[in-house]
Amino acid sequence: MTAAGALLRLITILIGAAVLPSQAQDLMSGRWEGTARIPDDDLNVIVDLAQQNGAWVGSIIIPGLGVKGTPLTDIKAEASDVNFAVKGPVGIKLNLRLLPPPENKLAGNFEQAGNRAPVTLQKTGPPQVEYPPRSTPVAKELEGEWKGDYEIMGFTRHVSIKFANHPDGATADFVIVGRKHNVLPVDLVSQESDLVTVDSHEMGFSFEGRLRDGKLTGAIRQGAIETPLVLVRAK
Amino acid sequence: MTKRISKVVVLLVTLCAVRAIDAQSMFRGDATHSGTYMGPAPRQFHRVRWKFPTGDRVISSPVFKDNVIYFGGDDGNVYAVDAATGRQIWKRATNGPAPATPAIADGTVYIGSYDGRFYAFNAQTGALKWKFATNGERRFEAKGLHGMQPKQQTIADPFDIYLSSPVVANGTVYFGSGDGNLYALDSATGDLRWKFKTGDVVHASPALADGVLFFGSWDSYFYAVDAATGKERWRFHGGEDPMIHNQVGFQSSPAVVNGTVYTGCRDSNLYALDAATGKEKWRVFNDLSWVITSPAVADGKVFFATSDSSLYHVVDANTGKPIVRQQGKAYMFSSPAVGSDVVFIGVLNGTLEARDLKTGDLLWDFKVEKSKENDGWVLTSDRKFNGPFLSHSNWREAPILATDQQIRLGGIYSSPLVVNGVVYFGSADGYVYALE
Repeated sequence: MTAAGALLRLITILIGAAVLPSQAQDLMSGRWEGTARIPDDDLNVIVDLAQQNGAWVGSIIIPGLGVKGTPLTDIKAEASDVNFAVKGPVGIKLNLRLLPPPENKLAGNFEQAGNRAPVTLQKTGPPQVEYPPRSTPVAKELEGEWKGDYEIMGFTRHVSIKFANHPDGATADFVIVGRKHNVLPVDLVSQESDLVTVDSHEMGFSFEGRLRDGKLTGAIRQGAIETPLVLVRAK
Repeated sequence: MTKRISKVVVLLVTLCAVRAIDAQSMFRGDATHSGTYMGPAPRQFHRVRWKFPTGDRVISSPVFKDNVIYFGGDDGNVYAVDAATGRQIWKRATNGPAPATPAIADGTVYIGSYDGRFYAFNAQTGALKWKFATNGERRFEAKGLHGMQPKQQTIADPFDIYLSSPVVANGTVYFGSGDGNLYALDSATGDLRWKFKTGDVVHASPALADGVLFFGSWDSYFYAVDAATGKERWRFHGGEDPMIHNQVGFQSSPAVVNGTVYTGCRDSNLYALDAATGKEKWRVFNDLSWVITSPAVADGKVFFATSDSSLYHVVDANTGKPIVRQQGKAYMFSSPAVGSDVVFIGVLNGTLEARDLKTGDLLWDFKVEKSKENDGWVLTSDRKFNGPFLSHSNWREAPILATDQQIRLGGIYSSPLVVNGVVYFGSADGYVYALE
């Protein structure tokens, strides 16, 4: 290589390096598809990343794990690196680096339950970020505390659900008392006509019932187990 | 006089030796299933003496007689292997998986197979002596089992993994069957002496003490039956679970010691029952976690472990009061074996654990190679079952496939056998191991 050639190459590298961090943020936005190479099983991973009001948002699809449109959390994008997590039972972390053009790839690690596997994602199009459903308001007559009992595997459980309306939708305090006092984190409350649902996706519990004749008549679902449950207003 | 004393000593030693050898030739040692083995046991792990490959998983527990190890394979074969070298002496094919533990008596190997036949082979040569056809094997099944979906679908239980292991006494061989019967056959000819009908699958192994057979059925009852006549002495009702059929059935096999029957149950209790009356003496409840392990009983203590909660327990044999409670890493179906001052137990994450008899502390463990590969991330990095990767769906075949994945990592369902300082056990990786 001649001296002029070397100088030209150095300039090119310096320009590339100077541009990359600022471009990287734009380049990261998009739909990314690829595989995590876990032992004896390639796991398909689809990540959607976008910027919204100056902040990163995203969602993930993992067909092999029943994960579809789950929101990304703790998204950190700095220079060429992007890291994020998927909370809930699956508990995933991805630490990725944007490879310089013409690679157009995000490569790094896929971590879950202490296991780590290499992952490479290729940009395949614009982002299609999914947003989780939002809680709706509930009817005025539903506000306050409702109670009921159900039996599972020979043991009685006492249930209390306390509804409250807020400007951005309803909330519910969902408590199940068996041999332990369990306060379930509720992430979704909705009412469609007389059908009311309360979901704790993190704990795998949900209640669904119809508000009729002053009672909430329906079922509680724990994982795949569905048990009839009638709630009445607490005295 | 000295000569006479010497003769008595020699006779006693011989009798003890005979007892020690006999106590290794049936599931859980002998007919009472105490799970206690005489002689030395390794407090430290030195090496793998040998490992013997088969064509499929090994759920059966090895037994020992005259320096030969016998076991069944899910490849359909029954094996005789040199205990010292691990060399195959003979194998005989059945027409189905054989996840039962054989019993050896009077030069004969007795074992049942999923082909619905019960076999008697010559222990030295493997030659078939006779075989007996039951009404056919099947697994426990129920609609919406364990919350699997669709809930109106009848689903065979993937955790019903063992077949009943026989017990032999007084010229009769006894075993349970998926057809719901407990059978008593002439051990020399295979002729039916009697059969006792229960309401569902009998895959627990009968224990025999004082002329009475003790065993549980998936119909939720535990039975005591006269060994000579097949007449019921008493029955004990375990828990029921009409909704998802998860907390029902006796899969654990009992141990009978000092007039008390100890048995685990899927209703998550370990029960102590009066052997004469069937009255409950005490129970240990395990928070909806199955007790599949057959309890071992030694030194006034009962040793057992649980499935989902993965707890290793030692309780007082008279009262059920807790003595030791140790948190394990994964489900335990394998039954604890007491050898000298060590308790050995297999774990479904592919680990054999050796624990101190008194404290329950882990002395050493051995992980089968297949489990270290952790294909498909079935295990977390600390070797617990990785829920999200195993069971993200309860629909259709997904839970069954997840169980199969669990099994394929080399889970140890087999109950360890301890002979002369060596521990023998099978693994779902398809090998039988001899560790010293």
